[in-house]
Amino acid sequence: MSTTLLSIRGVTKSFAEVEALKKIDLDIHSGEIVGLVGSNGAGKTTLLRLMAGVYKPSNGRVELSNGKPVEEMRQELGVVPESTGLYSRLTAWENIRYHSRMHGVNDAVAWARTEKFAEHLDMKENLSRHTKGFSRGMKQKTALLRALAHGPNILLLDEPTAGLDITSARTVRALVRQLRDEGGTVIYSTHQLAEAQQVCDRIVIIHNGEIRADGSPSELLSSTGTASLEDAYVSLTLDQARPRQEEADKESALSSWWRRLFTPRTPATTLEVLENE
Amino acid sequence: MSDGGGRRIRAIAKKEVVEFARDWRTIIAIIVIPLLMFPLLFILFPVLLESEAAELDALELSVIVQSDEFPSALLENFTSVSLTVSLEPLPNVTSLSEPNDDLERVRNSSTDAVLRFDSRNDTWSYAILHLSTSERSNEARFRLLSTLSEWEDSEVRERISDGGLDVNATLDPLRWDGDIAQGDVATSGEQAGMVLSLFIPLVLAIWTYSSAIQPSIDMTAGERERGTLEALLCLPCTRIELLMGKWLAVATITGIGVVLQICGLLFAIGYLASSSFIGLPKLSIVSVGLIVLSILLFAVMVVAFELALAMRSHSVKEAGSILAPALMLILFPALFTQVINLDGIEGFWFAIPVVNILLALRELLMNRVITEHVVIWVASSLVYATLAAYYASRQFSREDIVTSLS
Repeated sequence: MSTTLLSIRGVTKSFAEVEALKKIDLDIHSGEIVGLVGSNGAGKTTLLRLMAGVYKPSNGRVELSNGKPVEEMRQELGVVPESTGLYSRLTAWENIRYHSRMHGVNDAVAWARTEKFAEHLDMKENLSRHTKGFSRGMKQKTALLRALAHGPNILLLDEPTAGLDITSARTVRALVRQLRDEGGTVIYSTHQLAEAQQVCDRIVIIHNGEIRADGSPSELLSSTGTASLEDAYVSLTLDQARPRQEEADKESALSSWWRRLFTPRTPATTLEVLENE
Repeated sequence: MSDGGGRRIRAIAKKEVVEFARDWRTIIAIIVIPLLMFPLLFILFPVLLESEAAELDALELSVIVQSDEFPSALLENFTSVSLTVSLEPLPNVTSLSEPNDDLERVRNSSTDAVLRFDSRNDTWSYAILHLSTSERSNEARFRLLSTLSEWEDSEVRERISDGGLDVNATLDPLRWDGDIAQGDVATSGEQAGMVLSLFIPLVLAIWTYSSAIQPSIDMTAGERERGTLEALLCLPCTRIELLMGKWLAVATITGIGVVLQICGLLFAIGYLASSSFIGLPKLSIVSVGLIVLSILLFAVMVVAFELALAMRSHSVKEAGSILAPALMLILFPALFTQVINLDGIEGFWFAIPVVNILLALRELLMNRVITEHVVIWVASSLVYATLAAYYASRQFSREDIVTSLS
């Protein structure tokens, strides 16, 4: 029987006046791939950042199975953020080694693990190259290797196949499934429903900061009485999606006024007026 | 700090320094420029000045001398300093300084200068018309004045002698006896300290601040903009460890730059300008220790302050537009400190931020260790450094540092 690795209890996250996440309850069990599915601004990245301990909840708790808050147990986590976060003046291996050292892992151990996964991702030859000239796919694979090098129990992936070509995306998905088969736990954020269906054992649909559904693809279909996951998603998210909250521009009143001073107004001309002229 | 905090701080600092050093432009900005700036300035500038002076000396200049009765000896002297003289009668003017019709001749460079010379009873009156914005005209005026001064000197001597007086006794009735340098009881080490205290604190303050700008921005707003900060914040290190690691990296880079610049400056002064101009200051162990402490406290304060301001910024551009003008906060106190008289200085000066450290450095370079001053500047600097570090830790603890405007 699978055990609960990560618990999210009554978590609310607010940015200024806006509630980005509203009373989230979620358990992540060992050996499963959990897909966080939602449109842009739904709250997926905010939830992942809460799980990674980058954000603190405004209310509620995010804790690991031992009851400790996640920010005290980050060595249990491997994180691939949306931006990959690689240093361009370091080689792929130096990027990986830097994070491993921060996790307190010996270089030899980190290298052995990296070599093993690099083989799967066809990245072995690129480990000694500076990441400056890397394609999006190579960067994503390097970030994945970096997240795996210290042997985490939970892998948090934020849009891991965004911007990848078909072959690279397929390789990443295959590796994620392999990790699950080896007993690993993966939390996989995506806004591609088809991808989630392909990879994940369990899908959590997030919309406007709320969990609208949580279950296996077949459970989602039966609970919504729809024939496809796409129909199920649409029936669960009928209200209009909001814009991203955490990126909200926090500029001062003076900065805002100054910017508007040099911003021309949109032309009032319409196509009809132009045609009449 | 959690277990392994020291190891993580070192890892952060090492990675930052390595990454920074891999940019050749950084090496030039932080190492080559500070090392070569003063030696180049001290070699090239005198060479340039000498060549300009030689060029001016070689010029044959034309002057118009207007006089109704001009001494022939003086005319010969003018020729010996490469002045081509055209003699004209004195124009009808109320004052010799009035340009009148000669104004255009000087302005359009048809002559380099006009000397008007008039005999009045036993004395002579003169005026020189020249164009101060022209190098040639200035040089012509300079040669005329030098020659006139020499001629006046010989006239004075001749008149004293004709009056039956001893020329030397009349012109120089009060004389220094012996070697002037012997009268100064300050040792050469103290004199060197005095000279160094006038510019080392200034260089130290300005270069510490300015050389920390680029790394501070790169390691904070730069990371934020490039999206590397989020991955870093997911690692098992506290925000304080992150701040300390980055502080250590910026302080190391800045420290190397400052040390190299001071080495370059001392080399330039000691070996290239004039070795007798300045020697090594004689400092006690206590003074040296306190100098190191003052620099360390200053670096803690300045680097933490810059890291905090840069971390507050949403982008590299925003950070640059805040940190560059903030240099004034260092520059003005630094310049102000240079003119403060250290003899009998009141204690409160040693409690003013920035001024306190610079005054302390001035005193210590002159090997003056005054306990009251030391206590005030150490205590106040500790307070300011703590405040700056606290402010920086607040900025590093903000949740929104993970997002960027770009």
